[in-house]
Amino acid sequence: MVMIMARKKDAKALEKLMELGKGMVNEVRRGKSPNFEATVRSRSNVKYDESFGYLRLGKRKETRTFVNVGQARKFMQTVAVAAKCKKFLDEDAHTSIRGLFYQLKYSLGEDVEDELFTEQSESNPLIEDLEVALNLKREDLNLNTDRKGVVAGSMRVVDRFGGEETTINCAKQGRSGWAIPSDVDNNMEITDLKADYVLVVEKDALWQRLNEDKFWRKEKCILITPKGQASRGCRRLINKLADMKLPIYVFTDCDAWGWYIYWAIKTGSMNLAYLADDIATPQARFVGVTMQDIVDYDFLGKLTIKAKPVDLKRAQEMMSYPWIARHKEWVKELKTVMKSKKKLEQDALQGPRLSFVGEYLKKKIKEKKLLP
Amino acid sequence: MARDNPIFNQFREHSVAEFFRKNRQMLGFSGKVRSLTTIVHEYVTNSLDACEEAGILPDIGIEIRVVNGDHCVVRASDNGPGIPQKLVGKALGMMLAGTKFHRYMQQRGQQGIGAAGCTMFALITTGTPVKVRTGTGTSKVYSCDLSIDVKTNKPKMLNEKMEEGEMRGLEIEGEFGEVKYDKGEYGPLAYLKRTAIANPHAQIKFKGPNDEEVLFPRASDAIPERPKEVLPHPLGLTTSDLVEMAHHSKDRKISSFLMNNFTRVSSGKIGELRGLLPDVNLNAKPRNLAWADAEKMIDAFSRLRWIAPATDSIRPIGEEQVKKALVNILNPEFMSVRERKPKVFRGGVPFVVETAITYGGNSGRHTQSGVSGDVIRFANRAPLLFDAGGCAITQAVKEMDWNRYGMKEFDSMPITVFVNFVSVHVPYTGAGKQAIANEEEIVGEIKLSVMECARELQSHLRGKVRAGEKEAKKKAIMRYVDQLAKDLVELSGTGDVERLKKKLVKLVEGKYKKKIEDATLEEIAGEAAAAQLEAENSKNEGES
Repeated sequence: MVMIMARKKDAKALEKLMELGKGMVNEVRRGKSPNFEATVRSRSNVKYDESFGYLRLGKRKETRTFVNVGQARKFMQTVAVAAKCKKFLDEDAHTSIRGLFYQLKYSLGEDVEDELFTEQSESNPLIEDLEVALNLKREDLNLNTDRKGVVAGSMRVVDRFGGEETTINCAKQGRSGWAIPSDVDNNMEITDLKADYVLVVEKDALWQRLNEDKFWRKEKCILITPKGQASRGCRRLINKLADMKLPIYVFTDCDAWGWYIYWAIKTGSMNLAYLADDIATPQARFVGVTMQDIVDYDFLGKLTIKAKPVDLKRAQEMMSYPWIARHKEWVKELKTVMKSKKKLEQDALQGPRLSFVGEYLKKKIKEKKLLP
Repeated sequence: MARDNPIFNQFREHSVAEFFRKNRQMLGFSGKVRSLTTIVHEYVTNSLDACEEAGILPDIGIEIRVVNGDHCVVRASDNGPGIPQKLVGKALGMMLAGTKFHRYMQQRGQQGIGAAGCTMFALITTGTPVKVRTGTGTSKVYSCDLSIDVKTNKPKMLNEKMEEGEMRGLEIEGEFGEVKYDKGEYGPLAYLKRTAIANPHAQIKFKGPNDEEVLFPRASDAIPERPKEVLPHPLGLTTSDLVEMAHHSKDRKISSFLMNNFTRVSSGKIGELRGLLPDVNLNAKPRNLAWADAEKMIDAFSRLRWIAPATDSIRPIGEEQVKKALVNILNPEFMSVRERKPKVFRGGVPFVVETAITYGGNSGRHTQSGVSGDVIRFANRAPLLFDAGGCAITQAVKEMDWNRYGMKEFDSMPITVFVNFVSVHVPYTGAGKQAIANEEEIVGEIKLSVMECARELQSHLRGKVRAGEKEAKKKAIMRYVDQLAKDLVELSGTGDVERLKKKLVKLVEGKYKKKIEDATLEEIAGEAAAAQLEAENSKNEGES
């Protein structure tokens, strides 16, 4: 059962890779220069799609072909990356994109006098090209990214890895929580999910605070911290939980960085627009902290910090983004920041007493005092 | 008659030897290296002229041995008509007695010093006579030791012999002092190489010291046509020319002397001349023409309107012959040869410029420090080795903007620029006769001709660069074929690496072959437009 599932999952990626190769071989056999086509990933081809509610790639495609002096090297490299990934899938082995780079550097160039990959910056974009062209994530190609993010809550994860199956109970992870892996799709299964919503907390310190307070048990939520900007795995997990009909609430600082974390989770980012269908979660709502909180909670008025130029600049920019400008609540929030030139950290909520954070969140979620 | 010549007058006051010493410079015997090259030049020129006149394809041999110190033995031989016994002394042992002196036609040397000068040089530097052996193909071979009585300027023949034997041609061997054998660009070998280029009908064999042997094989069986002897045009004259010719004239009056000895001088023109020169008596005897009057006449000539001289007296080497010679000697990768139409300088002297540019092969000057662009100069087929700095040819080549022809690196390219100046009257800058005067018309004409050649070379080089770029592109892609074939088989799980490699190689080669053909067509169209533009530019340049 376990093995069958593993084969099935990898088979999709494997099949796609082999199809790509066969297509190229056929082109060569017919006396044509083999081509590789992928959607352009540059910013100019990233558009906000209103119907989806997140940033997606446009239709512009880019073709590279072998018999072209400007493209030959890149074409050869692309095929080399694809062939390596196919090998990883065959062997059921995982590595990082840096590991892939060293594999390429090691095995290529036996027949050629110069290095075929001099820097990782050469192989990285080719991986993204493959992800786009094959409509796969790099995790599907057995390429891991760094783990970042922690989860706690009432759910179990069945992890089939290295020929073994482990069931992780996210409610029994003590003070540390379960570290979110790079790949939460392949050979991973979420079961026994018993929660009313998902709370994403920017800072690990606040997550630890809420974990100590047993917030997730009392409030029946899944408590996640991306520890700053959310990793691919973390975003994918949030997306999956949203697909399981759980509301997503995001709790960050009231400053440029905090807003950015929220919007990246909600509408995706420029760089990962090609993965938006898998990792953007437009249902996400913003729980705090907000400028309105200063009005609602007197003590916060004393705990504000002077906004840095970067915060103000960012606030100004955000008002021009169509996906933000359409929300009048956000426009009002940002205008307040611009006017008061103040910012507020989520840690400030520990001012009156340490456990106040929980009370604050509980109240705001209950009263639906949320920003879209 | 000869006594009236001012040069001969000097002979009476000084001995011939003294005259020779004093005028060594003028006779080409200045400097040890140059003296030896001049000796070779005199003998080779004599042979070429003699063969040409007799309609014989020349086979010339030059052998040089270093005796000791600054003494060399030079041995010259040819297969020419030979010299009849009674003329040997006059031809080889009498200074300034050559047949060239008073003829107005295109000639190699025009120096007139000839082989007799060499005999004299041997005599005054080593005191030895030259050994002569000659046959005219009549089964008799004449030989003697020849020297010159320096007091009387008369040839002296010793050890005369007449033997039975089959020989046609001339052999001269002499020992010369104050000479130095040089292998460089001023030496006999360089001279002979250039002679071979300008005389593709000649075969020249050279044997130098240390047993070095070089053969410049015949490149063409066509003996050059003899240039026509023509009367000079008044506009090409200098005062000394006029005085010299007048003093040799048998005409009774200057007026008839002018009409009989010059082209385009009619009785009408004499009338005009009389009007311009009221104080010169044109009825006087030409033998008595004074320098001052001659000067006035030359000035008057330049003020009259003349019909231009006929140009059929000029015999260039010819495009085909130059090509053959260049292939033979330089074996270039590319060459462009131009022969321009006759033009005139000084208002009346016709001349023709022949130019060529060669690239690659043995083109350029090869020295230890590498290759550099070379200019080889000729006047009536005779190589000009010395005094390059003051020469119209050098100036024309120097003034060219090589950058414009994609030859910015002219100084380090394997390029030879060949220029042959052809005229019945070569305006040498000095008595050494090694440089052509910087006459505006001459420099301009040489420039135009060299430009035309340069333009052709430029398109050749451009094509080369393009082909090189294509090749580089092809190579750049080819480097990845092996890797790609391996990866494609790995990725697709199908196919055979070797078969795929072959297919890919074919694919790349096919693409770049096609591309080169396409480019060639584009290039031709592009070149045509560029050539037209260049032509307009050079026209403007020529006018300015």
